Amino acid sequence: MDSQKVDMFIMANGKFFESHHVGQIRDSLVKLDDSKWVVIQTLQFKDPSTSLIISLFGGHLGIDRFVIGDTGLGIAKLLTCGGLGIWTIVDWFMIMGATREKNMEKLQQAFY
Amino acid sequence: MAIVRKQLYRILITSCIVGYVWVYFNLKFGYSESYKHSFCLMKNITNVPCPSCGSTRAVISFIHGDFLQSLYWNPMGLIILSIMIVLPPWLIYDYATRKESLLNFYSKFEAIIRRRRVAIVAIVLVLLNWIWNIYKGL
Repeated sequence: MDSQKVDMFIMANGKFFESHHVGQIRDSLVKLDDSKWVVIQTLQFKDPSTSLIISLFGGHLGIDRFVIGDTGLGIAKLLTCGGLGIWTIVDWFMIMGATREKNMEKLQQAFY
Repeated sequence: MAIVRKQLYRILITSCIVGYVWVYFNLKFGYSESYKHSFCLMKNITNVPCPSCGSTRAVISFIHGDFLQSLYWNPMGLIILSIMIVLPPWLIYDYATRKESLLNFYSKFEAIIRRRRVAIVAIVLVLLNWIWNIYKGL
């Protein structure tokens, strides 16, 4: 793919991914066929800051995990009172990273 | 969605151990003590019980053989208890045979619960349980 397009994508969506993934994303996008560009461009990613806000308010009920697509862990959190309240607090710090990982998974699914 | 085997199993083992320690602690010191030591952030901050408040008491009542009382405290407690009983043997089996049966089951279960109809029913049940909890004043 045209490197200008790739740079545009990275500039617009860089914040949705872990910084150590960005290089890898760039490489894969450059190698990718042009026909995939439309699909890649229309992907919607979850904003890590939004999931942090959800985690602060609804983390106790596992809503943050449900929102990013970790349904199973969300149920676990809901059933255990947010992991006795400990998991809730841990997730305030983990959820942004988890969201970025989920975005990466989504992008990788679009590659193939 | 892909969750890594190692990651999932680590979370499950940790929560199982914490769960057993918590139940042991509550069995030893009784409910009244456990109520004072509630870990529930929501109840401690807002004084309103969360959907799973009372599940410790449900598990303890069930262990004491009082099935109806445990249903009254919180039906979710029974789900938690059955998960706590099933998980350790399953985890040991998976580790012993190097299989991923639990991970596969987890992914299948996730796919089922994410269907719109199932999800709506589950959400309504949880909400009803929550309303019941608030009504009971746990």
